[in-house]
Parts: sequence; structure tokens; C-alpha cells
Amino acid sequence: MKTIIAKYGTAITGLVILVVLILFARNFASSANMLNVLKNTSFLTILAVGFTFALITSELDLSFANIASLAAVVTGGMIYSGIAWPLAALAGLAVGLVAGYVNGLVVTVAKVPSLIATLGTASIAGGLAFMLTGGVAFVGRWDPVFLSLARGKVGPVPVLIFFMAAVVIAGWFVSRKTPLGVHMLATGEATEAAHRAGIATRRMKRIGLTLSGLAAGIAAVLLVASLSSAAPQMAGDYLLNAIAAVLLGMTMFEPGRPNIAGTFVGALIISVLDNGLVLLGAPYYLQDIMLGLIVIGSVSVSASVLKKAAFSV
Amino acid sequence: MSLTDAAAAPGLATSEALRVRGATKTYGAVEALRGADLTVRRGTVHAVCGDNGAGKSTLIKLISGVEAPDGGEISVDGRPVHFADPHAALAAGIATIHQDLGLAPRMAIYQNIFMGSELTRRILGVPVLRRRAMIARSAEFLAQLNSAITDMTVPVDTLSGGQRQAVAICRALRWKAETIIMDEPTAALGVRETAQVLALIRRLREQGVTVILISHNMADVVAVADSVTILRAGRTVLERATEGLDADSLSHLILFVGAEAA
Repeated sequence: MKTIIAKYGTAITGLVILVVLILFARNFASSANMLNVLKNTSFLTILAVGFTFALITSELDLSFANIASLAAVVTGGMIYSGIAWPLAALAGLAVGLVAGYVNGLVVTVAKVPSLIATLGTASIAGGLAFMLTGGVAFVGRWDPVFLSLARGKVGPVPVLIFFMAAVVIAGWFVSRKTPLGVHMLATGEATEAAHRAGIATRRMKRIGLTLSGLAAGIAAVLLVASLSSAAPQMAGDYLLNAIAAVLLGMTMFEPGRPNIAGTFVGALIISVLDNGLVLLGAPYYLQDIMLGLIVIGSVSVSASVLKKAAFSV
Repeated sequence: MSLTDAAAAPGLATSEALRVRGATKTYGAVEALRGADLTVRRGTVHAVCGDNGAGKSTLIKLISGVEAPDGGEISVDGRPVHFADPHAALAAGIATIHQDLGLAPRMAIYQNIFMGSELTRRILGVPVLRRRAMIARSAEFLAQLNSAITDMTVPVDTLSGGQRQAVAICRALRWKAETIIMDEPTAALGVRETAQVLALIRRLREQGVTVILISHNMADVVAVADSVTILRAGRTVLERATEGLDADSLSHLILFVGAEAA
């Protein structure tokens, strides 16, 4: 019973919240609103899956939101200046990938703790995004095929939901079913033991941070297509939301350990809460307060499972 | 099993598993090793003893590939080797079992045993873990050591100290290690667990595995080791069979043999 609560307590709480909102929030349960919530969760989930990989190797990434903004501006700027959108989209993905790899190098080669390293690269990416745009947004005529990446629907279901599902399933598969996944896990759980077992632990940390950057690139391209514009700081709001989703996810399924299934459910809970609070007419600042409580509460729950501080710098 | 075959072949049973000649290692101003020798015969349990600071840990670091010697020579099966990292030592058949650092406490037994060398199959070219096969093989390895553990999916931090040593040994067996270095395997253990670990060591020898045992516990050494190397101030001062030694006489040797040379 105790382990059931430890493993599924958060998810059950999420279900209870869902039921309460269905009963008391007007329009919440409509299929249009449900699909809308899922659609809006997709950016959050994709970014959070990336952050999960960094955290699995026991490294923090505070730069993914600014990297996503930079990637968005690069993609948007290229389309704006008339370059074919597939190239621009690839460039956005490449920006995320390279920025994530740079994070990995700074952490594993220059030996800067990831908290500080990614705080630095976050600032650099944010600055570059402003430099490229001159501080304004790219808006204009966009190829409808490109826009359909994020706005298209299969039947009633937005395409974004399929992108989210693909990222979650791929992330779950890699982390749980492949040697790469367990090597990353072992690196995060016991770096010295993993190293002595022949695992290239620094490489695993680089891969974790690179995947976080790549996820930022994917989210960025979809965000540009969804909003048909690109502005510096456009992904900034996702930073704490995505981190909260991952930390909340660490309280379920594999308590104390970042895991993709937990991240997905964590992102869903946060989106549902956000949406529900709006529909209930709660003031907007309540979302921020709630987010802060989720972050602190989750880490304290994880810490009690781990019987030590959940994070150290 | 191949391990048992090696033990059965009389020619191999007396050959050299490992030889160190004149190893030196300096850390800044500290000369940790000033000419250490070590000869370990295949299929035996060989103890390395010495007081604190005698150079035991440094010598083990060189053999297990954690560090490279400044001078001297290491050979495995008569062939000179240069280990760039612990992985190279593993590839040469030398596995090291450390007191605490070897296992991931919150990961499952089978994940620890197969850490770094998981069983996989390719699905559309992608390597996919074979969880059930790893669980089954882990149970076999542990049974080989007469261990009573049955559930391979529980985290290692739920096991006793002796059981953790068994899991660590299974990882070495998984690597097909011919030589297993055990660094103070009984240091943190109670009486019953110590007896279990000594039984594990005997079991390994029966299966033809060479064991290098680093220990402060003289009673353990005389109980399981066939031969012993005594280090003092970074040099090998004695290498002999343990036959005829008891814990007291071994302590005496460690304290006084070669004392005038240091």
C-alpha cells in the first residue's frame, strides 16, 4: 500500500483534480477544451522530456528555454528572409542540438557545474536571440505547409499531439529499453560505479544535455509554426513550467528518479491545472504561486524518498 | 563451464596470471611506490598486505587501470600490458571490486550485474535490452556463488553487505574476468557476513578464478589466501606462501620484515 502511494500518489491526485475540474469548471470537459489542453501541453512536454534526459544523467539544464527562443528566432529569421522552410526548420533543430552539445562540453570538459554552465549559456542564447532580431519579432507571410506542422489536424486531433506523443514514446523507449538509456541512468545514479563498469560517463552527460538542446530545437520549430512568428524570449515562460513537470514526474512511477512517464503525467497535471484555474476564473498570478509550490513540494517528496537532498550543486 | 576447464588444466593452474616488476608511482613529493613486485599464480588466492601507507591502494590502482605507473612493468599471462583506463584492465580479464564505489545502490541487482555490458538484441538495427535474459543469467551467476538471493529486480541497497559483495563478484564473472581484485571486501562487515564473503572467495578459487585480496584482516588472509605479498614503504619486502602462518605471525611479518630497509 505504501509503495502504491509512493509510486502512484501524484498521478492519483492528478486524476482527482481532473474529476473536480470536470464537475465544477464550466466547459472544461468539452472535447474541444480537452484537445486544446493536450495541444498546449505539447510544447511543455517536449521541452520537459529533454530536461528529463539531462536530469537522468544528474545534470541540470537551465538553458533550454532560451535555446528554444534562439532556435525559434533562427528558424523564423530564415523563413522571413525567404529561405525554404524545411531548411529553416532543420537549422532550428541544429541550433538546439549544437547548443545542447556546447552545454555538454562546458560541463564535462571545462568542468563547470551544470547549474552555472547552463545559466551562462542561457544568457548567451538569450543575448544572441535579441541580436538576431534586433529585439523585435519576425512576422509576415509564412508557407502554409510549414504552419500546418503545428496547426494541422488529423480528423479532430491536432498534429501537435502526435508530435508530443512521438517525443514521449521515443524518450520512454530510449530511456527504458536501450543500453544508452541504462548507461545514462547508471551515470546519474552512481557516476563512479558506472565509470568503473566501463561506461563513458562524461559522454553520457554530454548526450543528456545534447538531447535537452535537441528537444528545445524541436519545440522551437513547432512553436514558430504554431504562432507564425518568432520573437526573442518566446519560450521563456516554459522554463519553470517544464522543470516543474519533470520534478513533479519524479514523485511518481519511479520515485526519486527522473522518468519520462512521470514527466508526461507531470506536464499534463500542470496544463490541466493552468487551464482549470483560468476556467474557474482564478487570477493569473495564482498559476505562478502554484508552480512554485509544485517545484518545492516535489523536490521535498523526492528528497524524502532518497533520504537525502534531491539535488546538490 | 570455461572457468572450471581452466582450473582443471594442470599446465594453466600453476602459470602466472599477473606479474608486476619494479613498479614506481609518485604523487607530487610523495613516493607511493618505490619498486613494488607482485607475482600471482593462476587459480590462487593471493593476498596483498602492508600497513597504512605501504602502497597497497596505489599498487591496486595500477593493476586495475585506474592509474598508470611511472616506472616498472605489468604483465598478464606473461605479456606486458599498459592499461589506459579500468576498461582496458577489464578487457584483459582483470576486474576490481571496490568497497563502496562499485555498485549503483538504487538500481536493480540484474542492472548492476550487467552494468556497462548489457545483453541486447537488435530490432530494426536498434539495440534493445533483453531484460528477462539478464534476470535469468543474473540468477545463474548468483546461484554459482551459492547465494540465496532470488529476486533479481530489487535494488542493491536492500541487500546485506555480504550479498552486495556477491553481486559485485557476479559483475566480474559477467565480464568473464579471470582475475578478480577484492579491495578490503570484509572491512565493513559483521562476523556472519565476513564468513559469507570468505566462502565466496573459496568458491571463486574452486572455479579457477584468480583472486587478489587486499586486506587489513590477518585472520581473513590466513584463512583464504594461498600466498601473500607484503609491502612496506612502497616496496615489496616479502612474497611467500601462507602455509604455516597464523594471524599473529603474519602481523609480525608486516610490522617487522624489511623495517631496517625503510
